[in-house]
Amino acid sequence: MTKYIIRRMIQAIPVLFGITIVVYGILLAAPGGPTAKFNQNPRITEEIKEKFKKAWGLDQPIPVQYCRWMGFCNPENVGLQVFIGETGWPNFLPTPISGATNGVLHGDFGFSISSGELVNTRIVRAALPTLILAGVALFVWLVVAILMGVYAAIHRYSLFDQAATVFAYVGFAMPTFWLGIMLIFLFSGPGLNILPAGGMTETRLSPPFGSDEYWVYFGQKPLEALSDVGWHLILPVFTLVVVNIAGDSRFVRASMLEALNQDYVRTAKAKGLPGRTVTFKHALRNAMLPVVTNIGLEIPFLFTGAIVTETIFSWPGIGRLTIAATNQFDYPVLMGVLLISATLVVLANLLADVAYAVIDPRIKF
Amino acid sequence: MTDSRKPQGAVASDLVRRAEEAGQDYEVGLESLSQMQLAWRKFKGHRLALLGLTILGILIGVAVLGPLLLPYNFATIPLPDKIVYEGRPPSAEHFFGETGGLQRDVFRLVVNGARTSLFIGFSSMFIGVVIGTIVGSIAGFVGGFVDNFLMRIVDVMLSLPVLFVILVASRFFGNGNVILIVVIFGLFSWMGISRLVRSQFLSIREREFVEAARAVGVTDRRIIFRHILPNAFSPIVVSSSLIVAGNIIGEAFVSFLGFGVNPTTPTWGNILSNALTFIPLGNWWWPLFPGMAIILTVLAVNFIGDGLRDAFDPRSRA
Repeated sequence: MTKYIIRRMIQAIPVLFGITIVVYGILLAAPGGPTAKFNQNPRITEEIKEKFKKAWGLDQPIPVQYCRWMGFCNPENVGLQVFIGETGWPNFLPTPISGATNGVLHGDFGFSISSGELVNTRIVRAALPTLILAGVALFVWLVVAILMGVYAAIHRYSLFDQAATVFAYVGFAMPTFWLGIMLIFLFSGPGLNILPAGGMTETRLSPPFGSDEYWVYFGQKPLEALSDVGWHLILPVFTLVVVNIAGDSRFVRASMLEALNQDYVRTAKAKGLPGRTVTFKHALRNAMLPVVTNIGLEIPFLFTGAIVTETIFSWPGIGRLTIAATNQFDYPVLMGVLLISATLVVLANLLADVAYAVIDPRIKF
Repeated sequence: MTDSRKPQGAVASDLVRRAEEAGQDYEVGLESLSQMQLAWRKFKGHRLALLGLTILGILIGVAVLGPLLLPYNFATIPLPDKIVYEGRPPSAEHFFGETGGLQRDVFRLVVNGARTSLFIGFSSMFIGVVIGTIVGSIAGFVGGFVDNFLMRIVDVMLSLPVLFVILVASRFFGNGNVILIVVIFGLFSWMGISRLVRSQFLSIREREFVEAARAVGVTDRRIIFRHILPNAFSPIVVSSSLIVAGNIIGEAFVSFLGFGVNPTTPTWGNILSNALTFIPLGNWWWPLFPGMAIILTVLAVNFIGDGLRDAFDPRSRA
């Protein structure tokens, strides 16, 4: 088991490495480059552009730039010494050993071109709203999908089951953002103005989320602050989970039906156990095995789905950060976001495999 | 003296005579249905799939002919006599309503959008299938280091949050150009196909008929194109239907965020993008119809995919 986990982790390393190359390559190939934003500015001459490039190390050969961005190289040294960190150990080793703090390998994504802040600061600031949104969405998604799937499987071909099938087909074909727009029309349009159309907090009542004043306000009136955020969460969460619920409720149903047809369920029923015990203890637990893996693989896509949901509902998270960075050609931020979300996908794959091995004792390595 | 292998009977001997005249092999006794005919027979029994095929046929018809039949060319929209900022709800004259702002007929937008959206969905799928088949064939046939290398690339591509990357790529390279958007989507939709084709190659490569073909001295090229690829046909077709659905939604997503096709060429996505700014005015007809068009298309394609999967599955019987 441990051996299997270690092997999978080692296999993930070249994939992650490949991802950094692809991400770096895409942004490198982008037309214009980091100086493109100066093109409209008549005061910036070619000379100043050259100075800018020199200051940011953009005049170096591409492998050197990549090496520095990754943190393999120590920009202080020259010649073969570049690979050596301050303590004499190779620069790519963790900070306590090599003393190096630069580059992705040491958790440093550089500076945002558009705002001048650290990329880490911007990502951390945007991460909390996204985690709140994705966390609540995940919870709702799991509970509803499992309940719907199990109920539909137990009452197979009932009216509920058929309605759930139609919902699954339509929900799966529905673009998330379209659902978001229609929900805003329905619940916050001129007709039925009952839910907030966007934002994370009521701007008239509280300071912007994440600012220092907000946390002071939060400390004074925690209940009001929570209910305010909760109120703003309803539409985005609903938008985010419908597609996932549509797909997974079918998956749970199929898995549950298969479990209900197993011999051990028949045996348990024949022994005279109450139906509820058989359904929830014998069938459900076994039916959850494939579901766990499937959901593990889908979790990273909550973040992709969040891009558009956050745009529609002006939710100040990673998705909005990505859109803003794309618009402003903010390469360091984009590379950070892309790399972190790709790492999440790799980790989720790894966890899904390991979880499957842990919960299913039939799997041997 | 008759050859015992020759089929008997009038019809059969006629077949034999014709085959001999053409210098072909004459072991044809019974007319059997080809695999395609069998699949079509089963597909016809799948009601939802037929419905999907009909809907898709109509939509493609609308996309190809629709813009020609409409009273106005898309480029020469007549100026409205009176501009109503929030647009006008559906009426007898404009049965999908009119948009806010420029007061365009939503029906005309949706019909013109069908052309671009379907074109992007199908042609990017085609690019993806071609790349995927080539990569999968090379990986499965050559094996060894090449296989390992190509499959690691597939792993990397699958780990990327594809929509993120497409979004960034469309913004940087797309320039709102339809063809470039198609290429970008095509370049990010081949991974599944290549895995499928590779696994087909790995299993079929070891089968007896391939071994026999090789023993007779058939060239590698002929083994790939005549013996292995036709067997991989059905899983490719099924998963390409999923790619079409995914790319239509994906394009709508990217155009909706404003990084896809220029608003001068309507797609279902960028119609919705404009609608978002008019939300407070409550003109529901604007986003409703393009959204319905997307749902209808994706539903139809998914139904066809389901039908194809059942039709090609030898375990299901019609």
